[in-house]
Amino acid sequence: MSTSKSNVHAHKAEIFCKDESRVDWHSKALWMLREKRDRAAGSLPEWEQLRHIGSEMKLHTLTHLAQYLEEFEQNCVANNIKVHWAKDGAEHNQIVHQILAKHQVKKVVKSKSMLTEECHMNPYLEDRGIEVIDTDLGERIIQLAKMPPSHIVVPAIHMKKEEVGDLFHEKLGTNAGASDPLYLTRAARSHLREQFLSADAAMTGVNMAVADTGAVVVCTNEGNADMGANLPKLQLHSMGIDKVVPDLDSAAVLLRTLARNATGQPITTYSSFYRGPQEGGEMHVIIVDNGRTEMLKDKILAESLKCIRCGGCLNTCPVYRRSGGYSYNYTIPGPIGIAVGAQNDDTNSIPWACTLCGSCTYVCPTKVPLDKIIHHHRRLKAEAGKLPYGKSSYMPLVGKFMASETALNCSMGIARTALKILPGSVLKPFSGAWGKYRELPVAPNSSFEAWFKKNRG
Amino acid sequence: MSSKQEILNALKSAAISPQAMPCIDIAPRIDDLVGQFETSLNTVAGTLHRDGGLSALQTTVDEHIAKGMQIISMVDGIIGNREVSDTAHELKDIDYAVIPGDLGVAENGAIWVNNKSLGHRVTPFICENLLLVIEAKSIVANMHQAAKLMTLATGEFGTFIAGPSKTADIEQALVVGAHGACSLNVYLT
Repeated sequence: MSTSKSNVHAHKAEIFCKDESRVDWHSKALWMLREKRDRAAGSLPEWEQLRHIGSEMKLHTLTHLAQYLEEFEQNCVANNIKVHWAKDGAEHNQIVHQILAKHQVKKVVKSKSMLTEECHMNPYLEDRGIEVIDTDLGERIIQLAKMPPSHIVVPAIHMKKEEVGDLFHEKLGTNAGASDPLYLTRAARSHLREQFLSADAAMTGVNMAVADTGAVVVCTNEGNADMGANLPKLQLHSMGIDKVVPDLDSAAVLLRTLARNATGQPITTYSSFYRGPQEGGEMHVIIVDNGRTEMLKDKILAESLKCIRCGGCLNTCPVYRRSGGYSYNYTIPGPIGIAVGAQNDDTNSIPWACTLCGSCTYVCPTKVPLDKIIHHHRRLKAEAGKLPYGKSSYMPLVGKFMASETALNCSMGIARTALKILPGSVLKPFSGAWGKYRELPVAPNSSFEAWFKKNRG
Repeated sequence: MSSKQEILNALKSAAISPQAMPCIDIAPRIDDLVGQFETSLNTVAGTLHRDGGLSALQTTVDEHIAKGMQIISMVDGIIGNREVSDTAHELKDIDYAVIPGDLGVAENGAIWVNNKSLGHRVTPFICENLLLVIEAKSIVANMHQAAKLMTLATGEFGTFIAGPSKTADIEQALVVGAHGACSLNVYLT
């Protein structure tokens, strides 16, 4: 097998779990976001109606995507916005590089865009002599630390303030040992101001692309997208094909749920609508497929494209909270990362980084059926003969075994007796990974079938 | 074949059958819009000045000028000490920007600002502190109503601003003042 043990989810989670107090701290920080989300959602009587409309609107758009994408492009052109189409990450990066090279750009300021992470754009541009400055505070922290994001909304959630303090001391010259978040944030503000003022171009992701107006909507709390896009004369916006919405009314629905579900805020500080470049400026939008049309061919996977990247499913996920963003072998971690990344996961392990508890589906603002999609990925892996953890050898046996009434009854009888008479230390090794953090169950007196026959039969 | 055509062709094999657009029909909460707006604005770390209107604002602006602050005003009737500069970059030392908002949103404290009132688009972001002016009668209940009224003509830029810029990227500790303005005061007229 080509898969090395070091990349499977369970192994990476084990590394993260070595420091138990840190796991507790990580889990608690994320749960705090979930609690804020609950308060924000609970304060709107129409919350469930908004989720329903959000879901239906996204489904409508996804099932009329060609029409809306073309409408979006036409309206962009009418607004003096240049539109490019990229079938994959490589083409996206080439297009971006061509635009930047044409304008002799040396430095780009970039606000958060999971798509550019997905396309591994930063290293591509850096290899070609273009400096890319991530301007979201969390992203700048992990960029300076040379790490990928561990969360899609709060990318440095895994780092403690003391670690950020040490990093800033080394890279930005802040006082040694200083770890006050206000002090560190102010230091980053002045450092990044210089970058905004000296950048030759700006890049942002896109939260929504409005088809009937030809505008892109970019949401931030820090104002970094707008500080970037409105200073240099060249602005680029990268979007997946799934970001388009029919009209401003549709965008308004998502703007009501996005921040509430992400951090519990009623709306992000800035929700900016770009319907054309600034005076004398140039604006480009790059529309990227990169596997999305392929997902649309599977009606279960297709629903993952309803996602608006609020991160709510990560915050609530019991596995993500206790295994961290680096255990998933994909740029996007957590339930949504499994949903959109499992087909590219060469360890074939991330669909099992899930208890199928369904909490993610319950909090999702566009009702992406995440647990159903993750379960579906397990089936796809099995059908492709790519079951991990030795499941491909023992699962067929388990299947045969459980299909035989005699074999099952007989062995369960033996198991019940064994649980009663043998000490746990002898039996525990037989429970494998399951028993690692669990106690063996107390054996019932009889099988359910026998109990039923006696009491209800 | 162009990438565009390839993508559009691939979409023809999508598995889900066409779904209808849902009706967006949500009853707005219309009681005490100004009160709702003020509560929401406080939640997002902004401050509302209900009384005194433009004259209260001019008094504040004059006090800041007396302290040597750099103030640009895009609101008719409010006089600052800086004019719209030739380049956006020259606004980097602006301490206060006074900007008119077109409408306020009660449910979240956001204020819609259109680039026609900005001089340079970057003005409300690059200033150290932001002073917005809105008419009480321009406050609407929710984003559905705001979407109907926001002005965004072809080629334009506009933004909903809800409070000063903020971040919680270091250990979830809220810090007001990230890259945009560090404070927001809203004056009602």
